Amino acid sequence: MWIDGLLASIQGVTPELGQAAIWVSMFSAIWAIAALGIGLQLKKIGLLKSGRNAVIATFVLISIATGALIFGFVTDDFSLRYVVEVSSAAQPLLYKITALWGGMSGSLLFWLWLLTVGGALVVWQNRKASDTLSDYALIAITIVQLFFIVVVTGAVHGVYSPFERYANGLVMPDGKGLNPLLQTPSMAFHPPTLYIGWISLTVPFAFAMGALFSGRIASDWTLRSRRWMLFSWIVLTVGITLGGHWAYQELGWGGYWAWDPVENASFMPWLLGTAYLHSVMIQEKRNMLKLWNILLITLAFQFTLLGTFITRSGVISSVHSFAQSDIGWYFLGFILASTAGIVLLIVYRWQRLKSANRLESLLSRESAFVLNNWLLVGLTMIILWGTLWPIISEAISGEKATVPESFFNKVVIIPGLLLLFLTGAGPIISWKKITLNNFRRMFVLPIIYGLVAAGVAWLFLAYRTYTINVAAEEDMATAVSDVATPNFFVQVWESLIFKDQPIPIYSLLCVFASVFVVVAIVAEFYRGAKLRTKRQQTSFFNGLINLIQRNKRRYGGYIIHIGIVIVYIGIMGSKGYFLLESKSLQLGDSMEVGAYQFTVENTFREQGENYDQVGIIVDVEKDGKHVTKMKPARNYYFTAGQGETDTIESAIHAIGLNDIYIAIGDLPPNLDDGGLVNVQIYQNPLIKVVWIGVFVMVLGGLVAIAQKHVHKSQEAMA
Amino acid sequence: MKKRRLKVMAASAILLTSFVVLVLSMTKKESMPELTPSQLIVSAETLNNQNVQLVGAISEGSSKWDAANFELTFAVRELEGSEKVNIVYNRLKPDNFTDGGNVYVEGVYDAEKNLIVATDLQTKCASKYEEAVSSDPASSSLQQY
Repeated sequence: MWIDGLLASIQGVTPELGQAAIWVSMFSAIWAIAALGIGLQLKKIGLLKSGRNAVIATFVLISIATGALIFGFVTDDFSLRYVVEVSSAAQPLLYKITALWGGMSGSLLFWLWLLTVGGALVVWQNRKASDTLSDYALIAITIVQLFFIVVVTGAVHGVYSPFERYANGLVMPDGKGLNPLLQTPSMAFHPPTLYIGWISLTVPFAFAMGALFSGRIASDWTLRSRRWMLFSWIVLTVGITLGGHWAYQELGWGGYWAWDPVENASFMPWLLGTAYLHSVMIQEKRNMLKLWNILLITLAFQFTLLGTFITRSGVISSVHSFAQSDIGWYFLGFILASTAGIVLLIVYRWQRLKSANRLESLLSRESAFVLNNWLLVGLTMIILWGTLWPIISEAISGEKATVPESFFNKVVIIPGLLLLFLTGAGPIISWKKITLNNFRRMFVLPIIYGLVAAGVAWLFLAYRTYTINVAAEEDMATAVSDVATPNFFVQVWESLIFKDQPIPIYSLLCVFASVFVVVAIVAEFYRGAKLRTKRQQTSFFNGLINLIQRNKRRYGGYIIHIGIVIVYIGIMGSKGYFLLESKSLQLGDSMEVGAYQFTVENTFREQGENYDQVGIIVDVEKDGKHVTKMKPARNYYFTAGQGETDTIESAIHAIGLNDIYIAIGDLPPNLDDGGLVNVQIYQNPLIKVVWIGVFVMVLGGLVAIAQKHVHKSQEAMA
Repeated sequence: MKKRRLKVMAASAILLTSFVVLVLSMTKKESMPELTPSQLIVSAETLNNQNVQLVGAISEGSSKWDAANFELTFAVRELEGSEKVNIVYNRLKPDNFTDGGNVYVEGVYDAEKNLIVATDLQTKCASKYEEAVSSDPASSSLQQY
């Protein structure tokens, strides 16, 4: 076929074209830095234009390289080492394309491509204004690009180019295939969203560097990068959640977050970005925290690189740890070198970084923002400490130690609850200093509602304990006939004081703080909308819409706060009150989890594009009434060179806001003749609330980002 | 003005101290040694009945699944060596659990039986297929076929 011949001819040159494009992009990046730097010093417009064009050229060249690699995947070019490592002929087209970021070399190229998109967008945004601050920012972006270009060329030790061919013209018969765990829709989108989030963080960082280069430390750099920062925050929020959702659906352990080093690496820049989004408003409003903001955005950016060091250097054990190479150390080197440069710039601009104002009271909105920042940065440092504990412990004692998931759960809970409280207190406390009147007007009602809700939660949890105790005592009475049934009032009292078990103090605090925040924020919306309704003689709904439209940043922020409350409630329910039962069952056997009965009815077998699916059909009943049928399974992938690989395919059924989640072990060949299958069933309360909360957060973020311009005079505080 | 600054500094110091105390006390309480099989065997007596994290590879041919008791037993071997530690795990076998695959196991060590009763078992995921970078791509990749 002529088309095969044509493809073969193109295949023959595209890797070389891609590799050449990477090399040429190195020169265009160097030219961009030089032309912009000299142009800014000498105020030569021609040089500045040339520098901007070089930024665009770098984008075009890296797009060519990325396109060439995707072409290699789509056409199964098994002369390329990288294609063989992460793709195979039988792989569905979607996963051939997503294999681009399935391994190290490709993901670095993809990261670089996104960086060049960021650079090109900054040039495009600045096409009319010709603002020198953007040109300074472009220098910083291009320096980061240059680092990635050098790494991607394959010229540095320990990292091979994505276009590297096998020696002597060798072409493999097939590839090894992308890890089956990555062949899911959420994994197709999780890495790119994280990358986009991280890379869009580079732009506000670059503007901060631009401010330091140029000496324009006032708020214009923060205003110029505001939407970039919000965009990054929204995308990171989505990316982190997709990762959790993927783990929940695919890994069969019923959870979505385990404080793994790689999860932490994605979460820490998010925390720092969140801190920055708050503190930057203080800079705009009160001309304070200028140095702090520069440090925060720098840290947020550096932490995106730190993640690569953690995963690639091999110094930390992680389920995610990728193929180890020298790349992690290159990243560490870049972090250290750039930190040294930034410190020098800060010292150089020290006088201009001093704040014009100071905190006037510890009980004020400014202080609430500062405390929020302390807590967010503190949380980041705690997580960093726990993540790097293997290195720290080895340095201190000579012996490597690690901390489990429970360490993180325990240390983040108190600062986390304080942050939750601030989510409501921050927006309602008055500027400069709280007054008695402000406290009465804004705080009393949310506190009362919060206390009532905590009381109701206490009763609910006591009732839950009571039903569990009664069921256990009935079982005991059945087993040992001479055990007297306890007095009803004694049972109630023991449940109310949570006898022999810890009082669920954190749950109660979480409920108190959540209701406090919701009431405080809803009251803010209500007061504002009512005022507008009165002023404009319109309906309450129109007043509310008008209120949000007039200050999208502020009210978008409030919506995000509501979303955060929802996520907290979801985490409290799903992490604190899940049920888990494991049992080996034959066909026809049943087991009970909570109020539900599960019966293994039959087996099934289905065929996918590159896998066989084998599983069981489970009938779910509650109080003798049919609820649903679920089909937990295992997928057996037939990938070249790997033998058969199987993965757990959990079955998840939503009942209201809760999930029933079933995962199974290997199916024995004799299942029809009395063989046993291992069944693990979770009841995850309120897990849907986590996803709903994230959706609300993203919605709030989209409202906030819709505000195009923010002026210092505008009331912009969330 | 000075008084106000003092207040801010005192509040910051209290917050910082609380953070540090919280983290250090929790680290002391939760920290467990991360060891390879040979390191664990050498320190067997001192680590008896303690929580440990073991890092190594699944010993070839060692894994057995007792479906009736919902019990996975296997041995973790040194990545480059022969020392082994036995593992018992009473949950579902995780994805990517294959002979020679890298794992880390968390649990209480019984020195007498050279056994860890695992509370957590995780296999390395995502890019286990991607080899560590070698200087000779052709030869290293050919070994896979």
